Amino acid sequence: MIIIESAGITDIGQNRKGNEDNFFVDDGMMLYMVADGMGGHQAGEVASELIVDNIRDYMIRFNESMEVEDPLDFLTRDANRLFASITFANHEVYQVSKSKDSLAGMGTTLSAVYCSDKTMIAANVGDSPIYLVHDGKIELLSETHTIMAEQIALGQEGSGLMGDKFKHMLTRAIGVGEDVKPYICEFQIFKGDTLIICSDGLSNKVLPEEINSVIKMERPEKACKILVDMANERGGEDNITVVVLRVKKVFGNNRVMKLLYKLIKAVWPHPVKLSRQ
Amino acid sequence: MPTLILKFKENELNNYRLEKGKSLTIGRLESNDIIIENLAVSGMHAKVDSLGDSFLLTDLKSKNGSFVNQQMITAHYLKGGDVITIGKHSLVFGYDENETPPDNDAVADDDMNQTMIMDTVQHKAMLAKAEEKKQTETSVLSFLTGGEGEVELSRKLMKIGKDPSCDVVVGGFMVGKTSATISKRPNGYYLSYVAGMSKPKVNDKVVKESVELKDFDIIEIGTGKMQFVQKG
Repeated sequence: MIIIESAGITDIGQNRKGNEDNFFVDDGMMLYMVADGMGGHQAGEVASELIVDNIRDYMIRFNESMEVEDPLDFLTRDANRLFASITFANHEVYQVSKSKDSLAGMGTTLSAVYCSDKTMIAANVGDSPIYLVHDGKIELLSETHTIMAEQIALGQEGSGLMGDKFKHMLTRAIGVGEDVKPYICEFQIFKGDTLIICSDGLSNKVLPEEINSVIKMERPEKACKILVDMANERGGEDNITVVVLRVKKVFGNNRVMKLLYKLIKAVWPHPVKLSRQ
Repeated sequence: MPTLILKFKENELNNYRLEKGKSLTIGRLESNDIIIENLAVSGMHAKVDSLGDSFLLTDLKSKNGSFVNQQMITAHYLKGGDVITIGKHSLVFGYDENETPPDNDAVADDDMNQTMIMDTVQHKAMLAKAEEKKQTETSVLSFLTGGEGEVELSRKLMKIGKDPSCDVVVGGFMVGKTSATISKRPNGYYLSYVAGMSKPKVNDKVVKESVELKDFDIIEIGTGKMQFVQKG
């Protein structure tokens, strides 16, 4: 059992007419998501909202006793659950994109963090990063699905010379095909660990080390605001979305504390959710 | 007509317009059309010829070679978006927005600062190569005592402990049902302590939270002693 303090903000930025990003934060479900949509005429907005809503609904419907059909053997049960929710939701987005001409070709990134009682699971499709700060060090937990990142991963020399145009060219996205293969990372977490999920509107403007230093100083809500302000001050060409979650407590097998926590939750069930346009 | 943009790292140094029926030479000497002053560049390094509607890049047997999109070439028909690397400089070949490239293979050059998705045969092949590389990179735990053989770290999260459901089962006094996990992350493998009075050790150091595993690290959990071996 884990207790988390979280916050999330999405901001339109300085240049864009609409906000195509969406996010989801729920400390009760222990589910956190950021989606960065793409496609003209508000289609990107539709895609990023659809993926977030569909994953949330899937995770709510899926009760504890249910098992995922055809689980992948390299993932744990909870990771399979998140994996299945993403592939299911991708299918829904894809179907919607085919249903209307104005929505054709829409897509979105998705980065999600789900906390089961034993481990933390990070999953992503696209280039919205998920960072973990543990013991003062920041580390990328997501895989960057862009041409440039994959060239670098392949060890191709001179990948850095490819130029800006490849920076944003995604190799994987939600809603563009029947199937999608999310990248999954499962790991143990400890008290004080912080996770940051954001859209590239932040990560293109603020370095991981800068994020780390903000995280060190501030609580999640304040940290989100500072990070969004930093990206805006540096141009804010894109929509900016940040979700920050901090692990407040990790209970081992302490049943009394678990019960007490559940009682408090029953009385005060409000998750922290912030939105600013 | 298309252009060649000379770049060094992220900086644009110069811009050259290509003309139909004209050739351009690239090299260190001043007699070239595109001069790159760098010792890594040969005096006469490469040339670009206009052939019909297309442009052909030819390496002039230069000492350090010419590259297009990281591939060494001797001759190459240029397509929109191609990046020519000569020494530490690069030349980006591109068509104007209102210009139609001569062949269908050319990468569209418009709207590139928008996020977009790529879906080509060439890219699929590249991904397959990347997957292949990843597959061969599965690291193993090789038992020294308390077990036999090697355990492949084929899952994203491997559990080590007393419980029979663990991926690696070890014995020992006060060892947790799940004593530790090994998690595969984008930049490597991490061992984390989970539960139990007896904590895991890596290279004789007690692990209280988590530690990144390095090649040939010795892991001790209860009666099990294993070595982490990176493959690939």
